Amino acid sequence: MTTRIEGRAFVFGDHVSGDNGIIEFGVIRDFTKPFDEKGLGAMCFSRVDPRFPAAFGPGDIVVAGRNFAHHSHPQVAVSLKAAGLGCVVCESTETGFLRKCLNIGFPLVTCRGIAALTVEGDVLAVDLAAGTVENRRTGDVLRTAAYSPRMLGMITAGGLIPFLKAELAA
Amino acid sequence: MGATIAEKIVARAAGRDRVTPGEYVMVTPDVSVGHEMFWPLHDRHMKAIGIERFRKPEKVVLVIDHTPLAALDSPYVKTHQELRDFVRRTGFRNFFDVGRGGLRHQVMIERGFARPGMLVFSDEGNIASLGAVGALNFPISWEVIVPMITDANWVVVPHTARFTLTGSLPRGTMARDLVHVINREFGETDLLLQGCVEFAGPGLSTLSMDARQGLLSGMYHCGADTAVMPVDDLARAYVEARAEGRPWAAVESDPDAHFVLERSYDLSAIEPCVTMPPEQHTVVPARELHGTRVEHASIGTCANNRLEDLRAAAEVLRGRRVAPHVALYVSPGSPEVYSAAAAEGVLSVLSDAGAMILAPGCNTCFGYVGALSAGQTAISTQQQNYHGRSGSPEARIFLGSPYVVAASAVAGEIRDPREMLEAAR
Repeated sequence: MTTRIEGRAFVFGDHVSGDNGIIEFGVIRDFTKPFDEKGLGAMCFSRVDPRFPAAFGPGDIVVAGRNFAHHSHPQVAVSLKAAGLGCVVCESTETGFLRKCLNIGFPLVTCRGIAALTVEGDVLAVDLAAGTVENRRTGDVLRTAAYSPRMLGMITAGGLIPFLKAELAA
Repeated sequence: MGATIAEKIVARAAGRDRVTPGEYVMVTPDVSVGHEMFWPLHDRHMKAIGIERFRKPEKVVLVIDHTPLAALDSPYVKTHQELRDFVRRTGFRNFFDVGRGGLRHQVMIERGFARPGMLVFSDEGNIASLGAVGALNFPISWEVIVPMITDANWVVVPHTARFTLTGSLPRGTMARDLVHVINREFGETDLLLQGCVEFAGPGLSTLSMDARQGLLSGMYHCGADTAVMPVDDLARAYVEARAEGRPWAAVESDPDAHFVLERSYDLSAIEPCVTMPPEQHTVVPARELHGTRVEHASIGTCANNRLEDLRAAAEVLRGRRVAPHVALYVSPGSPEVYSAAAAEGVLSVLSDAGAMILAPGCNTCFGYVGALSAGQTAISTQQQNYHGRSGSPEARIFLGSPYVVAASAVAGEIRDPREMLEAAR
């Protein structure tokens, strides 16, 4: 996977819950089986807005406000990826959720000011290595924390486990 | 400029003189801890990578705590056996099977695995309770397998917020009520995200080790990655009794350390509080919810499963009965807590009042036992109250201290505990 992502934006508000919004906690109590990617993708954001996930197209970008995906088990990140999204750009999230996304090779960046500068349908270009988010419609370019080489490695490898396998074999 | 406790611990673990908040750094942890529910993932991931053993098994702790009762239809019955097979196959020593450890938060601190100045990788933010002995927890979910198999991992250096405590808690209140107050202020903001909360001030010395652990474990739910406290004489004595000769070195923040924000809390001004579902920042005084009928009450979990918590419940329940329409579950945090509570007669007070004493473990919090049905209302000391957390998504979960939960169980509705505590004198 590339570390430059371009996609159409859908904009959500502050404080979207992970376990109680993007997905439903009740469906994820069994950790003994591999995650049900299809099922998790099919419920992505449906409890926040019934237009989703049907309205998401491949590579679309979720733009969200503060405290995105608070209370999130690992399946929340899986749901975003399985729904075909290309990236999340949010005002803020906990480190744990950034890690859960990285670990499955799904990019998430925090970017102050993004929610106010984006309307649904804008095309955003995210550069993980440079640490920038550009709104193609307005030309605004916002800074984010650039991914470290290790984080970029996890994205290009498709997740933590393939990254680690290659690293340990090297 | 000086450094905070968190910055010093990360710098030492990174082999650096100093680190900057927001920086990504690689660290060598002092210990990593995991639980059985993630074991199937860990097992799959280790197989995918082609690794069969931990890099430094002496620095890893594994605990069965989420599903201590291996019930017939539970998928985790098989997990228990797979974990035991791994332990036998690899000769792994720091495994705490059912009845041996309790919650991993307790195992870590009671058995001296967490000591001052240590960097701990774990799977969850509640394990910041280890900050009571000056250890720094980094919650990394299932990624905890990485430090287990490589003895290293990355962290974001947290910025630090300092909360200064003054005064002492009034009768009928507990450190848990302070968690509610902090959550009311910060839970809906993002001010603590990717940060560490460091407690300070004269009020700290009025809090027991049990109270400190409960307070620290709640900071994750206010948004912080982690939380920690300076090591005072009380904490030092606790560690010395459990370190068994293993090394430790306490660190404290420099006088000129930078704190990204500072708040002061007067413990004397706190009153019994309750959090309303389904978010954690919607906190009101317990007295404002009188009349809210409850059918389910639960005392335990990483927030309030320690001896002081069970004593608080017994203070309220002594000579009283749980209301006929209420089921009260009590989960001691560990065999140590269980035995101490039994020796003091606390468990018999609870049992005589009609409480169900469960095995040490997480139990009711995620609905493994005592699950909620549609339409039920619960009051619990657990930390999560979103729909479906403890069973049916159509149930409601209110949160409160052990005093509040015990008083509510007796009244059959949410109740400020102070009147019952006065009558008990």
